[in-house]
Amino acid sequence: MENIENLEPNKNQIQKSEFWLGLEQYYEDADFAKKAENEFLSSPLKEDDGNDGVARRDFLKLMGASLAMATTGCIRRPVQHIIPYAQAPKEITPGEASYYASSWFDGHQGYGLVVKTLEGRPIKIEGNPAHPMNRGGLPARAHAEVLSLYDPDRIRGPRRNLLNKARTNFEEIGAKWEDIDTAVSAAAAKGGFAVMTPTIPSPTTQALMAEVLGLFKGKQYIVDTLSMGSVREGQRLSYGKDVLPRYRFDLAKLIVTIDCDFLGTYLSPAEFARDFSSRRKPGSDMNRMVAFESLMSLTGMNSDDRIRIKPSQQLDVVLGLIHAVNQKFSSHNVTPAIKEYVAQYSDVSKKIGASDKVWNKLVAELVENRGHSLIIAGGLTTETSEAVSLQVAVNLLNSILDNDGSTIDHEGGYLTNLGISADLAGLVADMNAGRVKTLVINDANYAYTLPRSSGFVEALAKVDLILYTGNYNNATGTHAHYLIPAGNSMESWTDFEFQKGVFSIGQPTIRPMYDTRSLQESLIAWAAKAPSAPAKLKVSWFEYLQSHWKSDIFKKAGVSKTFDDAWYDVLQTGVAGRTAGGSGSKGSGRGFSGSALSLKRASVASGSGYELALYTTVQIGDGKFANVSWLQELPDVVTKIVWDNYLCVSIATAEKEHLSEGSMVELSVGKTSVKVPVHIQPGQADGVLGLAIGYGQKGIGKVGSEIGVDAFQFAGYQDGRGVFSGLAASIKKTGEKYSLVSTQTHHTMEGRQIIAEATNEAFVKNNAAGIEKASLISIWPEYKYTKNKWAMSIDLNVCTGCSACVIACQSENNIPVVGKKFVMQGREMHWIRIDRYYKGEPASPDTVFQPMLCQQCENAPCETVCPVVATVHNEEGLNDMVYNRCVGTRYCSNNCPYKVRRFNWFNYSKRAEPLHMALNPDVTVRTRGVMEKCTFCVQRIRKVTGEAKDRKEKLQDGAIVTACAESCPTQAITFGDLNDPSSRVTKIFAKLNSYAVLDDLNTRPRVQYLSKIRNAERAEEGEQA
Amino acid sequence: MSKSNMLKTRLKNFSSIWLEKSFTKNVRFITFGLLLFALTSCELPMGLEWGSIGYNQGYQPEQPIPYSHELHAGNYKIPCLYCHSTAERANHAAVPSLNICMNCHIVIPGNEHKDAIDKIKAAYAANEPIAWVKVHMLPDFVKFNHKRHVQRFGTPESCHKCHGPIETMARVYQHSSLSMGWCVNCHRQAENNAPVSCSTCHY
Repeated sequence: MENIENLEPNKNQIQKSEFWLGLEQYYEDADFAKKAENEFLSSPLKEDDGNDGVARRDFLKLMGASLAMATTGCIRRPVQHIIPYAQAPKEITPGEASYYASSWFDGHQGYGLVVKTLEGRPIKIEGNPAHPMNRGGLPARAHAEVLSLYDPDRIRGPRRNLLNKARTNFEEIGAKWEDIDTAVSAAAAKGGFAVMTPTIPSPTTQALMAEVLGLFKGKQYIVDTLSMGSVREGQRLSYGKDVLPRYRFDLAKLIVTIDCDFLGTYLSPAEFARDFSSRRKPGSDMNRMVAFESLMSLTGMNSDDRIRIKPSQQLDVVLGLIHAVNQKFSSHNVTPAIKEYVAQYSDVSKKIGASDKVWNKLVAELVENRGHSLIIAGGLTTETSEAVSLQVAVNLLNSILDNDGSTIDHEGGYLTNLGISADLAGLVADMNAGRVKTLVINDANYAYTLPRSSGFVEALAKVDLILYTGNYNNATGTHAHYLIPAGNSMESWTDFEFQKGVFSIGQPTIRPMYDTRSLQESLIAWAAKAPSAPAKLKVSWFEYLQSHWKSDIFKKAGVSKTFDDAWYDVLQTGVAGRTAGGSGSKGSGRGFSGSALSLKRASVASGSGYELALYTTVQIGDGKFANVSWLQELPDVVTKIVWDNYLCVSIATAEKEHLSEGSMVELSVGKTSVKVPVHIQPGQADGVLGLAIGYGQKGIGKVGSEIGVDAFQFAGYQDGRGVFSGLAASIKKTGEKYSLVSTQTHHTMEGRQIIAEATNEAFVKNNAAGIEKASLISIWPEYKYTKNKWAMSIDLNVCTGCSACVIACQSENNIPVVGKKFVMQGREMHWIRIDRYYKGEPASPDTVFQPMLCQQCENAPCETVCPVVATVHNEEGLNDMVYNRCVGTRYCSNNCPYKVRRFNWFNYSKRAEPLHMALNPDVTVRTRGVMEKCTFCVQRIRKVTGEAKDRKEKLQDGAIVTACAESCPTQAITFGDLNDPSSRVTKIFAKLNSYAVLDDLNTRPRVQYLSKIRNAERAEEGEQA
Repeated sequence: MSKSNMLKTRLKNFSSIWLEKSFTKNVRFITFGLLLFALTSCELPMGLEWGSIGYNQGYQPEQPIPYSHELHAGNYKIPCLYCHSTAERANHAAVPSLNICMNCHIVIPGNEHKDAIDKIKAAYAANEPIAWVKVHMLPDFVKFNHKRHVQRFGTPESCHKCHGPIETMARVYQHSSLSMGWCVNCHRQAENNAPVSCSTCHY
């Protein structure tokens, strides 16, 4: 793309389609047009740059030679073996999957899981429908845990680090658990024992920890890598008690978010997305979301109205809203002092450039929807130096509007982020004072995630013995004397209480693959070596867990059955206490402490400089999962860029600094500076720079090391809290160029009718608003589908674009990862992609997400052009892809109007051991030269229909669930049989706002979409998209 | 010149040019093709029929333990599903685990084949599995479901249909060709009411 200021918006293009994929299309960039014309972006000649690859001619020579050998030598296939068990476990039938209910915590968010295992190895993770939080939905990160388990780069046993003076070398040697245990036990007996850990929301682990720490007279420091300390502190100041309340999006009719990405990364996104979507039904009761955002986030993209602000204006907005609401009615929460203070924020709407119409509408609605609205702020982008004040102001506004005790439930809060600022400051002080002699660092990569100015890394040198339970010798590992890998979460027992009163079990689904030991087992081992250890600690971790459930948890959960019955129940359902369906108590409104709101603000250095806001991505999080290739190749939900992080800037900023996509800039905050490529993000606030955390790590494996730049180095530090946003920054163009790889401009559909969108008002008048259906005749004879007629419906109105389905599909269907270079050439393999369409002014556009997968056309254009009949229609209307027949002409892909076919250019499916253990044996592993695409999870169709046949029963609607539909947190995807008049999908297809993409081609897709409805006023209301 | 003549001339010119060009360009490929043909036709005198390459019909490998179906299934009439119990409830008719063998051989020492049975006992005691040689090999892109077939036809009829007179085999061999044509022939019979779409087996 050329410099942005040289380009004129192409009026024709915009008239043809109001929706655009990216700025390249909006400005009709020549490169983009060229790319859109080409199905595949380059010649397939070489697998690599040529230095190490086999060129085509050499390949043919080799082929000739090996063929000659094959034909003259052995003519049989290689001998294969069948190796049955010596002693078969009763619960295992070879080839038949077993499912285990479990749960998983990624360090910030918790989910109930159902793990599919085959012969004792997990191959797929699904959401547990019985878990009251995620209720069957599961985000991308949790799906990818199965790949973390088989990560070849994990440490495979205890190691002793060969520390150099600077503690920077990544070399280590083997060690024995026995020796480590003796050393730790002896050291702990001398005192100064401490455990530094992110929140472990496991009641039994906490009980064990308390006991072991009591024995060693040690101390636990809870330090979360992405702390919610400011939210807790805000709650404490406002209401007297430090809690992380439960936000009830299912009860909120109006949601105002201030830089809080609750649909993507904040606290419990799958739960929030489910609740949010439950109120998203078009009509008079449809909820409405207004987002004030500095960066474009997944939540902002799903909002009805979106107003751009700078991080330093977050507090202004809330105070401005308090003032505006206070003008309409008086609340006892607003003291005269507050009233006087907020009066100076009467002109906020002008300051942030919000239109009067949108602002006044919002204020009126806030007043009208008292008790049914929800104002929320939080997450990394709100962690400015004023984060606590922001939380207090939000609490005040919620209290004024009677939301506290209604949409904000302080009784059933989260126990997932308990870390408060005092812990980190206290630990650093204790280490520096020599009070910490033995330090166990659990799991988190603190040396990378904690603000550098916290002095944590320097203080580590003062500790005599450091042990690190992480699975990689990363930045933190290099500071430890011993690496004591805890293994993967699926290798050991645990339990969780993510939300108050919601107990769930974490079952191991595989025997530890290597010589690893969970933290709990280590704690027990050390305690058992202590001479004064009580008998209670001389048990296995599993026995300890069981006895704690027996004595404590079942009572708390209100389970009155015998222990054995209750235990089997919890193993089967995965949960105890509040289960799916139960909503739990809410607690009544709390009294807001009038003095909590600080009536003075620190002067923020704003002016000509830029504000840097760090943000969390949906896929990588705090960087713990950076070595998982699925997540690296998952297009970012907002930018659609893979394998990188980059500096997001607004269009105006790019124009001002003469930047284009991929320009390298030198980003400086104080004395820290780094070179980083630029991405121009529509919808981003002017003067704000956004940079994702989780990248630029060292020593975390072959996939994730050294990808992108480390954003944590810019974090500030203030009173034990990290400052991640509103950092004064400057940028300088270096003149270099860098290739950022975005998938959004691949596989385009060239501006034809793809998205149907209408406003809620237009929809209520006419359900078919925004949809133009073509009426066409077919020259093909009509085929009568007499058996099943599979079809899928996708509701664009509740699809949040979270991309969980992409990874669920990747896991289910053995889809390979190709790497950044091949994605650049348009060779990504995802069978389902989330298309992102912008609409309107590039500076602040509306966004629509559309999952795009094989449409299983009844009149499929791909089938008529295949010269070898490798893709054919079956009697159920599935567009079958026969891999073994495919010779790779790629004509089908060329002829596919939806661009959903994927070609295996090379042996992408080759996996390093033991990653092959994650493969699903029910799906063929495709090899080089073969076309592939979505099959509607035909392996699941065959399995379920076969089972119904065996039982001689009629197939139930909803019995077949495709992997994408299963994982969807908002249940946007419905799969079923159109020949069954009572099936859900038949009913949805009959709706007036159900439409087929590009139906004027008469392909008759079996995938239909429900139109996107926006609960806001728009100028071109009801117009054809 | 009439229109049709013009077209003919053009076509003629075009095809000769095209042939010439393509031949010089693709000489390596054509040579390669001829070579490939020559090499593969060498197989004919080696006693193989064209249609059966790779089908393995009649394959009768030696097993680590000379287990005889003739003795167990033929003489003693042990039902198929006693050992291959998963055939009626799973995709695989798995080779039985050693504990199934030991159900009987814990009391039957065996007279003629004591060595072989001792081998099994030793392996069982050491908890070491035995690597049997796979006889019936389907490619990985074919999904065969034993359960559906066994439930449809019952045992031992359904077993015989594909595996042949297994109770007469002292050493198991591959009875049927297991080719796709052989599968489809059965599926096509109207009385079997079986699907023939590609994704019945290929997915």
